[in-house]
Amino acid sequence: MQEEVQKQAFGSRAVKAPRITQGGLLLGIGLAMLAAMLIVTIFAPFIAPFDPSATSPDSLAGASARHWLGTDSIGRDVLSRLIVGGRTTLLITITAVLIALVGGLVLGLLSGYLGGLVDDVIMRVLDVVFAFPVLLLAIAVVAALGPTVPNLILTIAIVYTPAMARVVRAPVLSVKQWDHVEAARSIGMSEFRLVLHHILPLVVSPILVATSLTLSQTIFTVTALSFLGLGPPPPDPNWGGMLSEARQFMELAPLTVIGPAAAIVFATLTFIVLANGLRDVLDVGSV
Amino acid sequence: MTRFVLGRLAWMLAILLAVSFIAFAMMRALPGDFAIAAAGSQSVAPEVLAAIRQDLGLDRPLLAQYWGWLGHALLGDLGTSFVTRQPVRAELFDRLAVTFQLTLLAAIISMVMGVATGLAAARMRGAIDWIVRLYNGVMLAVPNYVVATLIVLLFGLYFPQISIFGYTPFLEDPLANIGSLLLPALALALAVSVTISENTRAAVLEVANQDFVMVARAKGLPPGRILRDYLVRNALTPVITATGLKIAALLGGSILVETIFAIPGMGQYLFDSINSRDYPVIQAIVLTAAAIVVVVNTMIDIAYARVDARVQL
Repeated sequence: MQEEVQKQAFGSRAVKAPRITQGGLLLGIGLAMLAAMLIVTIFAPFIAPFDPSATSPDSLAGASARHWLGTDSIGRDVLSRLIVGGRTTLLITITAVLIALVGGLVLGLLSGYLGGLVDDVIMRVLDVVFAFPVLLLAIAVVAALGPTVPNLILTIAIVYTPAMARVVRAPVLSVKQWDHVEAARSIGMSEFRLVLHHILPLVVSPILVATSLTLSQTIFTVTALSFLGLGPPPPDPNWGGMLSEARQFMELAPLTVIGPAAAIVFATLTFIVLANGLRDVLDVGSV
Repeated sequence: MTRFVLGRLAWMLAILLAVSFIAFAMMRALPGDFAIAAAGSQSVAPEVLAAIRQDLGLDRPLLAQYWGWLGHALLGDLGTSFVTRQPVRAELFDRLAVTFQLTLLAAIISMVMGVATGLAAARMRGAIDWIVRLYNGVMLAVPNYVVATLIVLLFGLYFPQISIFGYTPFLEDPLANIGSLLLPALALALAVSVTISENTRAAVLEVANQDFVMVARAKGLPPGRILRDYLVRNALTPVITATGLKIAALLGGSILVETIFAIPGMGQYLFDSINSRDYPVIQAIVLTAAAIVVVVNTMIDIAYARVDARVQL
């Protein structure tokens, strides 16, 4: 029944029997990458070989057994700063996307389920926010509020909420017309329960895929802001800031740039692989 | 069709109005005193501040201020910079021209690279398809400012004698002008070309399965002709649309790339004005960028409806 329903909703191929498919492999790789990243991030203080803020006279050193990725211009261990810096970057990214997800769920469900005037008003307002290039809007808001971690989270959440709302709304529009929703309504189920138990579960797949894609874009926005000097204030390290600081002496110590660059690419890649794996396994069409 | 176009245009004007109000309100909602920022120093006599307030119309109600600002903006007066004390418009137009040139160059590079690799992957399959897809998959995860930084690093390490920063105006030396924009345009183009490549590949594969292609093959048309007249023609329409939609991304991305390569475009202008808290400039840039995105999106909508009869009018 549910398979039939999903096929109807997303006009996709027949639902495959669970086996190791290309999508399953992708999802597995994505989950493994995510797990590795989260473990390193959560246990960062225990994993980092040095204090990320401790300076030493041994500045701009190349790779060695002591400093795997060398040291930066004031002798801080690059690897330790990367490991600890991932905390700030990922904390902002993931928290902001979760808030955007909640905001998008509320707006998208309201808009899609109620329809009519509510839908028009919400969608028109979101259209206006859409008119601003994401990074430009984020820069303007952060510049106005001041670059602190809570402000960054708030800004990114605001910037990405409209996209999440659209992703939620589209499948809700079709699911709400199905027979099981009508049946639930005819036995007098409350609207709140109806949306929560009979519509939401059917639109989870596209939302999961979109959330993962949004995470990959958010990594870009968060690190780009830090790169422009609008990131969390020093001395706490973060990837975008490290990349920006290291540019001054990068010819002397290329690892100071390649390290954070690789970390940013790895994190972005993780969420893209995850999104593609989820899309194949959950059999969602294009989002 | 006329009804659809008029509707889209009316909607565009409505969004532009809303966008202008946000651009205005955002700068007024700032913590801190607008007048102090305008004076350029914290230690200003209260009388001077009052005079500035009156001069800028800050003592009037917010909506009245907005109408005044909008009226001036519509007539092309975008205010006066707090830093240079010059009208914002002249400088903004100069900067916009540079960014436009950079974006155009990036769009051309990404189109050529994307369509070429996408076509190659779709037509030859096998190893080439595999390599292109792997490259696309990885490049999609590399942000343009990382590409830009790595390009600077490579040139710094291996070609330190070549100067890659700065910008030469077109009228001064056309060749040097293109040269000065080539690397930044490449950094901007790589990420976009990946999307175009994937779109092209998918579109060509889809068209290749259509009956009319089989008919063309059956009646013995040479493969080159099928590729040119049947596949590319039909596959490229959606690809071009998708490229147009990337303009917003290019505008946003150019902020970082311009800053890295010291290109005096809009992105660098924004970055500088944020650092110096030059609010009229920030306001003008946010308004201009959003207006460009809104107008381009509307044009794409209309063009798409003209090309594709399946779009509901």
